Amino acid sequence: MSETTHDPAPTHDRDGRRTFCKLCIGGLSVASAATVAYPVASFLGMPITVGANKPVAVPLSSLAPGQAHYAEFQGQQIVILSDEEGQRVFSASCPHLGCNVMWSPADALFHCPCHGAVFNSHGQVVSGPVSASLKKVPFEVKNGVIIVS
Amino acid sequence: MRLLGRIFDWFDERYELTPLIEKNVTHKQVPRTLGWSACFGGLAFLTFLVQVFTGMLLLMYYKPHPSAAWDSVTFIKSNVPMGWLVQRIHTVGANTMIVLVFMHFARVAYYKIFRKPRELHWISGVVLMLITTIMAFTGYLLPWTQLSYWGAKVGTEIPGAVPWIGEGIRNWVRRGPAISGETLGFFFSLHIWILPAVAVAFMLMHFMMIRRTGISRPL
Repeated sequence: MSETTHDPAPTHDRDGRRTFCKLCIGGLSVASAATVAYPVASFLGMPITVGANKPVAVPLSSLAPGQAHYAEFQGQQIVILSDEEGQRVFSASCPHLGCNVMWSPADALFHCPCHGAVFNSHGQVVSGPVSASLKKVPFEVKNGVIIVS
Repeated sequence: MRLLGRIFDWFDERYELTPLIEKNVTHKQVPRTLGWSACFGGLAFLTFLVQVFTGMLLLMYYKPHPSAAWDSVTFIKSNVPMGWLVQRIHTVGANTMIVLVFMHFARVAYYKIFRKPRELHWISGVVLMLITTIMAFTGYLLPWTQLSYWGAKVGTEIPGAVPWIGEGIRNWVRRGPAISGETLGFFFSLHIWILPAVAVAFMLMHFMMIRRTGISRPL
Protein backbone atom coordinates (compact mmCIF):
# COMPACT_ATOMS: atom_id res chain seq x y z
CA MET A 1 0.00 0.00 0.00
CA SER A 2 1.46 3.30 -0.97
CA GLU A 3 0.87 6.36 1.15
CA THR A 4 -1.10 8.20 -1.51
CA THR A 5 -4.03 5.74 -1.30
CA HIS A 6 -4.64 6.83 2.30
CA ASP A 7 -4.69 10.49 1.44
CA PRO A 8 -8.08 11.94 0.81
CA ALA A 9 -8.58 12.59 -2.87
CA PRO A 10 -8.41 16.23 -3.97
CA THR A 11 -11.68 18.02 -3.38
CA HIS A 12 -12.55 18.61 -7.01
CA ASP A 13 -12.06 14.88 -7.73
CA ARG A 14 -14.45 13.82 -4.93
CA ASP A 15 -16.98 16.36 -6.15
CA GLY A 16 -16.73 14.83 -9.59
CA ARG A 17 -17.52 11.36 -8.22
CA ARG A 18 -20.36 12.72 -6.15
CA THR A 19 -21.89 14.43 -9.18
CA PHE A 20 -21.42 11.25 -11.23
CA CYS A 21 -23.22 9.15 -8.59
CA LYS A 22 -26.00 11.70 -8.31
CA LEU A 23 -26.42 11.74 -12.09
CA CYS A 24 -26.52 7.92 -12.20
CA ILE A 25 -29.11 7.69 -9.41
CA GLY A 26 -31.15 10.51 -10.94
CA GLY A 27 -31.00 8.94 -14.40
CA LEU A 28 -32.03 5.51 -13.13
CA SER A 29 -34.86 7.06 -11.11
CA VAL A 30 -36.16 8.93 -14.15
CA ALA A 31 -35.88 5.76 -16.28
CA SER A 32 -37.75 3.71 -13.65
CA ALA A 33 -40.45 6.36 -13.33
CA ALA A 34 -40.83 6.43 -17.12
CA THR A 35 -41.24 2.63 -17.37
CA VAL A 36 -44.13 2.93 -14.91
CA ALA A 37 -45.59 6.16 -16.28
CA TYR A 38 -45.65 5.08 -19.94
CA PRO A 39 -47.90 1.99 -19.54
CA VAL A 40 -50.12 3.81 -17.04
CA ALA A 41 -50.54 6.81 -19.35
CA SER A 42 -51.30 4.44 -22.26
CA PHE A 43 -53.84 2.55 -20.16
CA LEU A 44 -55.66 5.78 -19.39
CA GLY A 45 -55.92 6.49 -23.14
CA MET A 46 -58.86 5.52 -25.32
CA PRO A 47 -59.45 1.79 -25.85
CA ILE A 48 -59.71 0.41 -29.37
CA THR A 49 -63.42 0.00 -30.08
CA VAL A 50 -63.87 -2.81 -32.55
CA GLY A 51 -66.52 -2.31 -35.25
CA ALA A 52 -67.34 1.32 -34.46
CA ASN A 53 -67.33 2.17 -38.18
CA LYS A 54 -68.92 -1.07 -39.31
CA PRO A 55 -71.86 -0.59 -41.69
CA VAL A 56 -75.26 -1.62 -40.38
CA ALA A 57 -76.92 -4.34 -42.45
CA VAL A 58 -80.50 -5.38 -41.70
CA PRO A 59 -82.41 -7.81 -43.97
CA LEU A 60 -85.81 -6.46 -45.00
CA SER A 61 -87.39 -9.77 -44.05
CA SER A 62 -86.52 -9.14 -40.40
CA LEU A 63 -88.40 -5.81 -40.37
CA ALA A 64 -92.04 -6.12 -39.40
CA PRO A 65 -94.23 -3.46 -41.05
CA GLY A 66 -94.98 -0.58 -38.71
CA GLN A 67 -92.19 -1.60 -36.33
CA ALA A 68 -88.94 0.23 -35.69
CA HIS A 69 -85.54 -1.40 -35.61
CA TYR A 70 -82.84 0.31 -33.57
CA ALA A 71 -79.14 -0.12 -34.37
CA GLU A 72 -75.85 1.53 -33.50
CA PHE A 73 -74.04 3.32 -36.30
CA GLN A 74 -70.76 5.21 -35.69
CA GLY A 75 -71.50 5.35 -31.98
CA GLN A 76 -75.00 6.82 -32.51
CA GLN A 77 -78.40 5.20 -32.28
CA ILE A 78 -80.23 5.01 -35.60
CA VAL A 79 -83.76 3.83 -36.16
CA ILE A 80 -84.91 1.92 -39.26
CA LEU A 81 -88.60 2.15 -40.02
CA SER A 82 -90.42 -0.01 -42.52
CA ASP A 83 -94.09 0.37 -43.54
CA GLU A 84 -96.29 0.35 -46.63
CA GLU A 85 -94.60 3.56 -47.86
CA GLY A 86 -91.17 1.94 -47.86
CA GLN A 87 -88.14 2.18 -45.64
CA ARG A 88 -86.71 5.19 -43.86
CA VAL A 89 -83.68 5.55 -41.60
CA PHE A 90 -83.37 8.35 -39.03
CA SER A 91 -80.92 9.33 -36.38
CA ALA A 92 -82.68 8.46 -33.10
CA SER A 93 -81.28 11.60 -31.50
CA CYS A 94 -84.00 14.20 -30.84
CA PRO A 95 -83.01 17.52 -32.48
CA HIS A 96 -84.10 19.32 -29.28
CA LEU A 97 -81.55 18.12 -26.70
CA GLY A 98 -80.34 14.79 -28.05
CA CYS A 99 -82.41 12.20 -26.16
CA ASN A 100 -83.20 9.03 -28.12
CA VAL A 101 -86.73 9.11 -29.50
CA MET A 102 -88.93 6.05 -29.00
CA TRP A 103 -91.13 4.64 -31.79
CA SER A 104 -94.64 3.91 -30.67
CA PRO A 105 -96.37 1.48 -33.08
CA ALA A 106 -99.80 2.11 -31.52
CA ASP A 107 -100.08 5.71 -32.82
CA ALA A 108 -97.26 5.41 -35.41
CA LEU A 109 -95.35 8.33 -33.89
CA PHE A 110 -91.91 8.94 -32.44
CA HIS A 111 -92.01 10.23 -28.85
CA CYS A 112 -89.09 11.88 -27.14
CA PRO A 113 -88.99 10.70 -23.50
CA CYS A 114 -87.22 13.84 -22.26
CA HIS A 115 -89.41 16.83 -23.19
CA GLY A 116 -92.31 15.26 -25.04
CA ALA A 117 -91.46 16.14 -28.65
CA VAL A 118 -93.50 14.10 -31.12
CA PHE A 119 -92.55 13.24 -34.73
CA ASN A 120 -94.51 11.38 -37.39
CA SER A 121 -93.31 8.35 -39.34
CA HIS A 122 -91.49 10.67 -41.80
CA GLY A 123 -89.59 12.33 -38.99
CA GLN A 124 -91.55 15.62 -39.25
CA VAL A 125 -92.45 17.53 -36.09
CA VAL A 126 -95.98 16.99 -34.81
CA SER A 127 -95.65 18.81 -31.50
CA GLY A 128 -93.24 19.65 -28.73
CA PRO A 129 -90.40 22.08 -28.03
CA VAL A 130 -88.63 21.47 -31.32
CA SER A 131 -88.68 22.92 -34.85
CA ALA A 132 -86.35 20.62 -36.80
CA SER A 133 -87.37 17.17 -38.00
CA LEU A 134 -85.44 13.98 -37.22
CA LYS A 135 -82.19 13.78 -39.15
CA LYS A 136 -82.42 11.44 -42.14
CA VAL A 137 -79.64 8.91 -42.54
CA PRO A 138 -78.73 7.86 -46.12
CA PHE A 139 -79.07 4.14 -46.84
CA GLU A 140 -79.32 1.74 -49.72
CA VAL A 141 -81.19 -1.49 -50.32
CA LYS A 142 -79.15 -4.28 -51.89
CA ASN A 143 -80.50 -7.81 -52.40
CA GLY A 144 -83.20 -7.28 -49.83
CA VAL A 145 -80.83 -5.93 -47.18
CA ILE A 146 -80.84 -2.36 -45.83
CA ILE A 147 -77.27 -1.12 -45.62
CA VAL A 148 -76.27 2.06 -43.78
CA SER A 149 -72.64 2.93 -44.40
CA MET B 1 -32.27 20.74 -10.74
CA ARG B 2 -32.01 24.15 -9.03
CA LEU B 3 -35.73 24.63 -9.52
CA LEU B 4 -36.56 21.17 -8.11
CA GLY B 5 -34.36 21.95 -5.12
CA ARG B 6 -36.17 25.23 -4.52
CA ILE B 7 -39.58 23.55 -4.76
CA PHE B 8 -38.41 20.93 -2.27
CA ASP B 9 -37.08 23.63 0.06
CA TRP B 10 -40.44 25.42 -0.03
CA PHE B 11 -42.19 22.28 1.24
CA ASP B 12 -39.31 21.40 3.58
CA GLU B 13 -39.59 24.79 5.29
CA ARG B 14 -43.27 24.22 6.01
CA TYR B 15 -43.48 20.49 6.69
CA GLU B 16 -39.95 19.89 8.05
CA LEU B 17 -39.35 16.95 5.74
CA THR B 18 -35.57 16.74 6.12
CA PRO B 19 -35.57 15.47 9.74
CA LEU B 20 -38.26 12.95 8.79
CA ILE B 21 -36.24 11.66 5.83
CA GLU B 22 -33.03 11.56 7.89
CA LYS B 23 -34.67 9.69 10.75
CA ASN B 24 -36.45 7.11 8.57
CA VAL B 25 -34.28 6.70 5.49
CA THR B 26 -30.86 8.24 5.14
CA HIS B 27 -29.67 8.07 8.77
CA LYS B 28 -31.70 5.03 9.85
CA GLN B 29 -29.59 2.52 11.75
CA VAL B 30 -30.22 -1.16 11.13
CA PRO B 31 -28.34 -4.02 12.79
CA ARG B 32 -25.20 -4.92 10.84
CA THR B 33 -26.03 -8.64 11.04
CA LEU B 34 -29.37 -8.19 9.28
CA GLY B 35 -29.31 -9.93 5.88
CA TRP B 36 -31.27 -9.52 2.67
CA SER B 37 -33.87 -11.97 3.97
CA ALA B 38 -35.10 -9.16 6.25
CA CYS B 39 -36.53 -7.49 3.12
CA PHE B 40 -39.29 -10.03 2.42
CA GLY B 41 -41.89 -8.25 4.53
CA GLY B 42 -41.17 -4.88 2.93
CA LEU B 43 -41.21 -6.46 -0.54
CA ALA B 44 -44.57 -8.10 0.23
CA PHE B 45 -45.88 -4.64 1.14
CA LEU B 46 -44.48 -3.24 -2.12
CA THR B 47 -46.29 -5.95 -4.13
CA PHE B 48 -49.46 -5.07 -2.18
CA LEU B 49 -49.12 -1.46 -3.36
CA VAL B 50 -48.57 -2.66 -6.95
CA GLN B 51 -51.71 -4.81 -6.65
CA VAL B 52 -53.76 -1.90 -5.32
CA PHE B 53 -52.61 0.36 -8.14
CA THR B 54 -53.03 -2.12 -11.02
CA GLY B 55 -56.35 -3.19 -9.46
CA MET B 56 -57.60 0.39 -9.58
CA LEU B 57 -56.70 0.55 -13.27
CA LEU B 58 -58.43 -2.77 -14.06
CA LEU B 59 -61.54 -1.56 -12.23
CA MET B 60 -62.03 1.05 -14.96
CA TYR B 61 -63.14 -1.69 -17.37
CA TYR B 62 -64.00 -4.78 -15.30
CA LYS B 63 -67.70 -5.67 -14.99
CA PRO B 64 -68.66 -8.04 -12.13
CA HIS B 65 -71.53 -9.81 -13.89
CA PRO B 66 -71.60 -13.41 -15.18
CA SER B 67 -72.57 -12.34 -18.70
CA ALA B 68 -70.03 -9.50 -18.87
CA ALA B 69 -67.03 -10.47 -16.69
CA TRP B 70 -65.18 -12.62 -19.22
CA ASP B 71 -65.84 -10.20 -22.08
CA SER B 72 -64.64 -7.25 -20.01
CA VAL B 73 -61.38 -9.02 -19.11
CA THR B 74 -60.88 -9.94 -22.78
CA PHE B 75 -61.58 -6.31 -23.67
CA ILE B 76 -58.89 -5.17 -21.21
CA LYS B 77 -56.39 -7.67 -22.63
CA SER B 78 -57.00 -6.96 -26.32
CA ASN B 79 -58.50 -3.48 -26.71
CA VAL B 80 -57.18 -1.30 -23.89
CA PRO B 81 -53.71 0.09 -24.60
CA MET B 82 -51.22 -1.73 -22.32
CA GLY B 83 -54.21 -3.49 -20.77
CA TRP B 84 -52.56 -6.88 -21.29
CA LEU B 85 -49.57 -5.63 -19.29
CA VAL B 86 -51.62 -4.24 -16.39
CA GLN B 87 -53.76 -7.40 -16.25
CA ARG B 88 -50.64 -9.61 -16.35
CA ILE B 89 -48.87 -7.57 -13.64
CA HIS B 90 -51.96 -7.96 -11.43
CA THR B 91 -52.00 -11.76 -11.97
CA VAL B 92 -48.25 -12.29 -11.58
CA GLY B 93 -48.19 -9.78 -8.71
CA ALA B 94 -50.72 -11.88 -6.79
CA ASN B 95 -48.49 -14.95 -7.05
CA THR B 96 -45.40 -12.91 -6.19
CA MET B 97 -47.11 -11.44 -3.14
CA ILE B 98 -48.04 -14.91 -1.85
CA VAL B 99 -44.47 -16.18 -2.38
CA LEU B 100 -43.01 -13.15 -0.56
CA VAL B 101 -45.49 -13.38 2.32
CA PHE B 102 -44.64 -17.05 2.81
CA MET B 103 -40.88 -16.38 2.62
CA HIS B 104 -41.32 -13.63 5.24
CA PHE B 105 -43.36 -16.06 7.33
CA ALA B 106 -40.73 -18.84 6.99
CA ARG B 107 -37.90 -16.50 8.02
CA VAL B 108 -39.76 -15.21 11.08
CA ALA B 109 -40.59 -18.78 12.08
CA TYR B 110 -37.03 -20.02 11.50
CA TYR B 111 -35.35 -17.25 13.54
CA LYS B 112 -38.07 -17.46 16.24
CA ILE B 113 -38.74 -13.73 15.91
CA PHE B 114 -42.31 -14.29 17.14
CA ARG B 115 -41.22 -14.59 20.79
CA LYS B 116 -41.95 -12.00 23.47
CA PRO B 117 -42.35 -9.01 23.00
CA ARG B 118 -43.32 -9.71 19.39
CA GLU B 119 -46.27 -12.10 19.76
CA LEU B 120 -48.74 -9.58 18.33
CA HIS B 121 -46.53 -9.02 15.27
CA TRP B 122 -46.91 -12.74 14.62
CA ILE B 123 -50.67 -12.80 15.20
CA SER B 124 -51.34 -9.75 13.00
CA GLY B 125 -48.99 -11.28 10.42
CA VAL B 126 -50.89 -14.56 10.35
CA VAL B 127 -54.13 -12.62 9.84
CA LEU B 128 -52.49 -10.70 6.98
CA MET B 129 -51.30 -13.98 5.44
CA LEU B 130 -54.85 -15.38 5.57
CA ILE B 131 -56.22 -12.18 4.01
CA THR B 132 -53.60 -12.39 1.25
CA THR B 133 -54.59 -15.96 0.36
CA ILE B 134 -58.31 -15.10 0.43
CA MET B 135 -57.68 -12.06 -1.78
CA ALA B 136 -55.88 -14.34 -4.26
CA PHE B 137 -58.71 -16.88 -4.11
CA THR B 138 -61.50 -14.33 -4.61
CA GLY B 139 -59.54 -12.63 -7.41
CA TYR B 140 -59.17 -15.96 -9.18
CA LEU B 141 -62.94 -16.18 -9.78
CA LEU B 142 -63.30 -12.69 -11.25
CA PRO B 143 -62.25 -13.39 -14.91
CA TRP B 144 -65.08 -15.97 -14.93
CA THR B 145 -63.18 -18.57 -16.96
CA GLN B 146 -63.52 -22.35 -16.71
CA LEU B 147 -60.45 -22.38 -14.45
CA SER B 148 -61.89 -19.68 -12.18
CA TYR B 149 -65.29 -21.35 -12.00
CA TRP B 150 -63.95 -24.77 -11.04
CA GLY B 151 -61.31 -23.24 -8.77
CA ALA B 152 -64.04 -21.43 -6.85
CA LYS B 153 -66.20 -24.56 -6.83
CA VAL B 154 -63.44 -26.74 -5.35
CA GLY B 155 -62.29 -24.00 -2.96
CA THR B 156 -65.74 -23.37 -1.54
CA GLU B 157 -66.29 -27.14 -1.26
CA ILE B 158 -63.52 -27.33 1.38
CA PRO B 159 -65.45 -25.72 4.28
CA GLY B 160 -68.33 -28.02 3.25
CA ALA B 161 -66.38 -30.92 4.77
CA VAL B 162 -66.85 -29.55 8.30
CA PRO B 163 -69.36 -31.79 10.13
CA TRP B 164 -72.89 -30.42 10.64
CA ILE B 165 -72.23 -26.75 9.90
CA GLY B 166 -70.08 -27.30 6.78
CA GLU B 167 -72.88 -27.11 4.24
CA GLY B 168 -74.16 -23.92 5.83
CA ILE B 169 -70.72 -22.29 5.62
CA ARG B 170 -70.31 -23.44 2.01
CA ASN B 171 -73.67 -22.02 0.99
CA TRP B 172 -72.99 -18.80 2.88
CA VAL B 173 -69.67 -18.34 1.05
CA ARG B 174 -71.31 -19.15 -2.29
CA ARG B 175 -74.35 -16.95 -1.54
CA GLY B 176 -76.49 -19.93 -2.49
CA PRO B 177 -76.13 -23.65 -3.19
CA ALA B 178 -74.10 -23.17 -6.40
CA ILE B 179 -71.47 -20.82 -7.86
CA SER B 180 -73.55 -18.06 -9.44
CA GLY B 181 -73.67 -14.37 -10.21
CA GLU B 182 -74.20 -13.75 -6.49
CA THR B 183 -70.93 -15.58 -5.73
CA LEU B 184 -69.19 -13.38 -8.28
CA GLY B 185 -70.60 -10.21 -6.72
CA PHE B 186 -69.66 -11.35 -3.21
CA PHE B 187 -66.13 -12.31 -4.22
CA PHE B 188 -65.77 -9.04 -6.12
CA SER B 189 -66.73 -6.92 -3.11
CA LEU B 190 -64.43 -8.96 -0.87
CA HIS B 191 -61.60 -8.68 -3.38
CA ILE B 192 -61.68 -4.96 -4.12
CA TRP B 193 -62.92 -3.38 -0.90
CA ILE B 194 -63.54 -5.46 2.19
CA LEU B 195 -60.32 -7.50 2.33
CA PRO B 196 -57.97 -4.68 1.28
CA ALA B 197 -59.54 -2.39 3.91
CA VAL B 198 -59.14 -5.00 6.64
CA ALA B 199 -55.61 -5.74 5.39
CA VAL B 200 -54.66 -2.05 5.63
CA ALA B 201 -55.90 -1.94 9.24
CA PHE B 202 -53.81 -4.98 10.18
CA MET B 203 -50.82 -3.61 8.26
CA LEU B 204 -50.94 -0.39 10.28
CA MET B 205 -50.98 -2.52 13.45
CA HIS B 206 -48.14 -4.71 12.13
CA PHE B 207 -45.91 -1.76 11.12
CA MET B 208 -46.61 0.41 14.16
CA MET B 209 -45.68 -2.44 16.49
CA ILE B 210 -42.44 -3.00 14.59
CA ARG B 211 -41.59 0.69 15.14
CA ARG B 212 -42.37 0.19 18.84
CA THR B 213 -40.22 -2.89 19.44
CA GLY B 214 -37.59 -2.33 16.76
CA ILE B 215 -36.33 -4.94 14.33
CA SER B 216 -35.35 -8.23 15.94
CA ARG B 217 -31.56 -8.68 16.10
CA PRO B 218 -30.31 -12.07 14.96
CA LEU B 219 -28.09 -13.80 17.52
